[in-house]
Amino acid sequence: VSSQQFSALTEVLFRFLSEPREVERFLTQLSDFATVNKISLGPLKNIVKSILLVPNGALKRNLSSEQVRADFIALGLSEEKASYFAEQWKLNSPTLTRLAVGQTLMINQLVDMEWKFGVTAGSSELEKVGSIFLQLKLVIQKGSRTENVCMELTLPQFYSFLHEMERVKTALESFS
Amino acid sequence: QLVSALHNLTRHVVYRGLTTAEDILSLFPENFHQNLKNLLTKIILENISAWRNEAQASQISLPRLVDMDWRVDIKTSSDTINRMAVPTCLLQLKIQEDAALCRNSPVVSALTVELSKETLDTMLEGLGRIRDQLSAVANK
Repeated sequence: VSSQQFSALTEVLFRFLSEPREVERFLTQLSDFATVNKISLGPLKNIVKSILLVPNGALKRNLSSEQVRADFIALGLSEEKASYFAEQWKLNSPTLTRLAVGQTLMINQLVDMEWKFGVTAGSSELEKVGSIFLQLKLVIQKGSRTENVCMELTLPQFYSFLHEMERVKTALESFS
Repeated sequence: QLVSALHNLTRHVVYRGLTTAEDILSLFPENFHQNLKNLLTKIILENISAWRNEAQASQISLPRLVDMDWRVDIKTSSDTINRMAVPTCLLQLKIQEDAALCRNSPVVSALTVELSKETLDTMLEGLGRIRDQLSAVANK
């Protein structure tokens, strides 16, 4: 594989790593690459599989680009190609790390919040009321489906909720 | 019959939001016993705000928030990354189903929600807007 072909292949690989959902596109690009360079798709897929192990392992163990380069050389890749890959790794690793962190398990993740507030005008017990209510709708991710949770808060409850959330923000900021 | 009449009277007073002795006194018929009328009015006046508050508290409503707790965790490791230090917030909301539907033993459920820092920031932005809208309404 010439260095030009290698850099094209590397580009395809990294694009897939940055957008792991685009499997279709990745496979299409691979087969295009195989046709253009007159390589058979089967062996190419196997090679790609083994190549992909390196960045995934590197991400998991948070390796520096030096270490990635050393890994590739140990696998038998030429120095020039290993350095090229390591360079690309250095450029892409922040994005890839952020992606991996983003995929970390979250329990009942809050996805969206809607609200409305208004005034209760009257009820069956009291003719004129005039009290303010706040209604919150929280959209929560439960596994693969989302659940809506609606609730009502009184005004004092809202203010203490806001106060508590500001305390959480301070706590989170002090840890990052 | 007596209890029922008394009940109707108090309900009417609470419903109309009558607060002065005159208003209540005017409800009684002409030839009602004077002292009894005054005594009843006095008792009603004493209890009126408690009754109003209770009526308001047991209004129909969406499930109500009764309590909230939070904690901040630091995620140190996962199956995709061996080492990291990502803070995250766990929020527990205790929600009580509509009291009117459950009579004496309302169901309280606890909901635990996880928020990332970004989600929390967006949420605070939203809450801030609510606060601004509330003060705009209050100042009108």
